[in-house]
Amino acid sequence: MLEADRHENIEILSYSEVTSVEGYIGNFRVKVKRKPRFVNENKCTGCGSCTEVCPVYVPNYFDENLSARKCIDIAFAQAVPAISDIERASCIECFACVDACDTEAIDFSQQEEILELEVGTIIVATGWDLYQGDDYGYGTYENVITQIQLERILAPNGPTFGHLKRPSDGKRPTKILFINCVGSRDLKTNEYCSVVCCNLSVKNSKLIMSEYPDSEILVSYIDMRCAGKMYEEYYRRARDAGILFIKGLVGKIEEDPLTKNLKVQLEPVGSDSIVEMEFHIVILSSASLPSMGTNEIASVMNIEKTPDGYLKEVHARLDPINTKVPGIYLAGSCQGQKSIDLAVSQAKGAASTANIPMKNEKYTMELIRAVPLDERCAKCYKCIEACPYTAISINENGLIQVDIISCRGCGICESLCPSKAIELAHYKDNQYVAYIDELLPIEE
Amino acid sequence: MAGTIRAQYPTSLRTVLVPCTGRVGVDLVMRAFGRGADGVMIVG
Repeated sequence: MLEADRHENIEILSYSEVTSVEGYIGNFRVKVKRKPRFVNENKCTGCGSCTEVCPVYVPNYFDENLSARKCIDIAFAQAVPAISDIERASCIECFACVDACDTEAIDFSQQEEILELEVGTIIVATGWDLYQGDDYGYGTYENVITQIQLERILAPNGPTFGHLKRPSDGKRPTKILFINCVGSRDLKTNEYCSVVCCNLSVKNSKLIMSEYPDSEILVSYIDMRCAGKMYEEYYRRARDAGILFIKGLVGKIEEDPLTKNLKVQLEPVGSDSIVEMEFHIVILSSASLPSMGTNEIASVMNIEKTPDGYLKEVHARLDPINTKVPGIYLAGSCQGQKSIDLAVSQAKGAASTANIPMKNEKYTMELIRAVPLDERCAKCYKCIEACPYTAISINENGLIQVDIISCRGCGICESLCPSKAIELAHYKDNQYVAYIDELLPIEE
Repeated sequence: MAGTIRAQYPTSLRTVLVPCTGRVGVDLVMRAFGRGADGVMIVG
């Protein structure tokens, strides 16, 4: 990230939102909404003296709300750019930070700003979000946490500085249960497999086991899907380390009100009995979801989504980078959940794909395009409403004109025009009439 | 579609290639019926 930030050709606009995309490959006009940080980005040095004096504590979203942060703070330790921002909803406006700031960077009058950019190609990499349903008492029982919360607990800069402690009493849990496929591979929630969680369970259970060899770790799963280079070997090492993997899902979890331990009913596949066990902490491998803004970005960029909610590629196997809009490409989990290695491959692929038309300064397109026939047009403008690519507009004479680069040659306008005033080149109505007549000859 | 999944289909079936199912309007469907087709399937 830091390297990208320092690169002369890369500009990072963090804390921003794309609100509109117009134009076509080579000539996109993009509007970006810059949300106010209430800190001048050019003046802030990221020294942190404002954070020191701020009296307001808010939940730390980067630590999955397991710790507290100040109301004015840098988003997280490695954030790029390292600039503070103020959470205005919680701010009490004591202005202690204004006095503490040596560079006079804090500006409570900052407003939303709209930035207009002209770009040639776009790569969408909006990532994913975590499923947070109330399965297995998550949100009610303190010691039921998600894998991402565990990631923060095990992180050296996390809420417990890397020491495994459970949320209810801060003690180290020794009996640990991982539950896989929470909120995925289930017709009630998400049908798809979230891909990464099996390996995440293996990784985190192995990490805990190597740090605390006296732990008793159990992973309950539907299927262990450790496909990919070196992952099966990794899974075997975990089993060799003494981690127990049991096929079978957890039926019920109940919290002991005194100890806050969790009584778990587990039904192992192949046995006809239900096993009852007690654990100190339960970790849910929750499903991944398309990130929160996926619907908005799909409608802004006019790209489609697959039934699972992720952004749609041209072909899931043969063309996973291009979208149906020329010049807009996908990278990473916005196209479907994937492991880091695949996300890196796709990102590199998307970067090269985006660079080809930019370097060539040429784009080859098909000639199947809508052609308006002005003398027939009754100006009902039904075609403008119907066009899924917003390629049709009204010219100065009130007649319609087609932007042949945005037009994708679907022909909806032609089939819908009541006065036959627009036709698709190479797929005209009279061609089809002749085609049908020849296929269905009337016998005399 | 029937071809790619190696399915059998009747020899009395005639296919018309279109760039997109949106291209098929009522007039073309009616034309096919007018020429004696028993049914029209719009498949995308």
